[in-house]
Amino acid sequence: MKPRRAILESPHLLTVLLIGAVAWSLATVNWSAPLVHTGGGKSALRFLLALFPPDLSPEFLLVCANAAWQTLAFALTGITVAVIIGFPLGVVASGALFSRESRIRVPVMLAVRFVLGAIRAIHELVWAVLFVAAIGLSPLAAIIALGLPYGGILGRIYAEFLEDVPEEPLVALQSAGASSLQVLVFGRLPMCLPDLVSYTFYRFECSVRAAAILSFVGIRGIGYEIQISLGDLLLGQVWTLLFVLLAIVALVDFWSGRVRHNLLTT
Amino acid sequence: MAEQSEDAPLVVVRDVTKTFPRVTALSAVGLSINAGERVALVGPSGSGKTTLLNLLSGTVQPDSGTLSVSGRLLSQRLPRRELASLVGIIHQQFDLIPQLPVVHNVLAGRFGRWGMFRSLLSTVWPQDYHLAAAALEQMGIPDKVQERTSHLSGGEQQRVAIARAIVQSPRLVLADEPVASVDPGRAQEILQVLASVTEGSNRALVASMHTPYLVQQFFSRAVGLKEGRVEFDLPADRLTEAILSDLYDLSHEESSLHWH
Repeated sequence: MKPRRAILESPHLLTVLLIGAVAWSLATVNWSAPLVHTGGGKSALRFLLALFPPDLSPEFLLVCANAAWQTLAFALTGITVAVIIGFPLGVVASGALFSRESRIRVPVMLAVRFVLGAIRAIHELVWAVLFVAAIGLSPLAAIIALGLPYGGILGRIYAEFLEDVPEEPLVALQSAGASSLQVLVFGRLPMCLPDLVSYTFYRFECSVRAAAILSFVGIRGIGYEIQISLGDLLLGQVWTLLFVLLAIVALVDFWSGRVRHNLLTT
Repeated sequence: MAEQSEDAPLVVVRDVTKTFPRVTALSAVGLSINAGERVALVGPSGSGKTTLLNLLSGTVQPDSGTLSVSGRLLSQRLPRRELASLVGIIHQQFDLIPQLPVVHNVLAGRFGRWGMFRSLLSTVWPQDYHLAAAALEQMGIPDKVQERTSHLSGGEQQRVAIARAIVQSPRLVLADEPVASVDPGRAQEILQVLASVTEGSNRALVASMHTPYLVQQFFSRAVGLKEGRVEFDLPADRLTEAILSDLYDLSHEESSLHWH
């Protein structure tokens, strides 16, 4: 068994596979046909020129503000659901609640890790299509579609952070009489809290982008407005909406920076 | 709990051997310590001092032999709460949680006495606060209760670690190199406090030490270890610089013999 494992885990095998995949995908491109469709260059230029000026009329800015608010609200509720799903599952998946000798530790960790892997293996767009089909075009569909895969991602990363803290202070807590729960609450969590928070904010940033994309399954927000403006060839409006999206992401980034700074210094 | 009779030793180490891969850390060590004793473990690094302390703390199990404190065998089956009431250890690196306020690091010494509800309540409303405050007062840093532990100096963190042992209040207090890398004045202060923690009561102190005059001043007994064996066991006031350098040099000669 051992040599076979060694071959499977060898980094060279991965390198060969990846190079092979790239070569194969290049080989499938039809190089003789034009890569950009006829007139594509012209419309790209038109799109660029529409940047001067973007549509800044008060009526449209109001539409933007409304869309931005909706997207931000979806992202925020989505990430909240993700934390509610990911945190408890992540704690269980880290094995921090069981003693090392416990016989159920490994089976439970593996089972929860499998669940986390399964829900994050499916992209939020696919979840959205599934939920829209199941419960219709409702905000709830969008929120669950965001929350599930993000919960899977958060849970996995939370588990890793919780496992990856210095061992000695935890041993000291145990020898002072601490239970697994006490070690978790007063040892593991405080030691990795800045990491947990900053990763959650990073995922919040991603969820803003994801919430904008979810418009393509009919949920209101920035993506929805982009689709409409693009359909009407109002490229100035598209630019404005892109700037608004950029502004929201920058805002979230600034916010997470402040929170992290406070966590590290107080 | 089956307490032992009044004059039975508090700590009994019987024929303890502990081997790590390729190194015998302790071989057939026997030792008994009475309540009220303050024992200094001396010996060169690698002589088994830290291994003996870890075995006495109950976090490491011997390969053979037994250790007991207050008549209770230090086995893996001993519940952690009971172990915490018997033995407390102050590690050389203090091993505190740097992100927590000082008060929570001190109150960790109470964890063995708290249930789940009280522990969770303590995150927002520190329980047994007066005990932590009193211990920090005793350690001379009463103003640091709410400070983030990582903001404290090394010396202050050591006091926090000792304050944790004070509120834990075990029968046997262990200290691994409590005055290593500490200036002489501070060493006196720290040993004063450690000695007072175990003073006159039904408790005992065991600490690894290097300086003979400090051993004479603050301890009642000196146990010399060399290559995992007890080399001497003296009243502390009879430990001299000569005996100590003998212990160190001999081990040096023998280890060089092993190499050839």
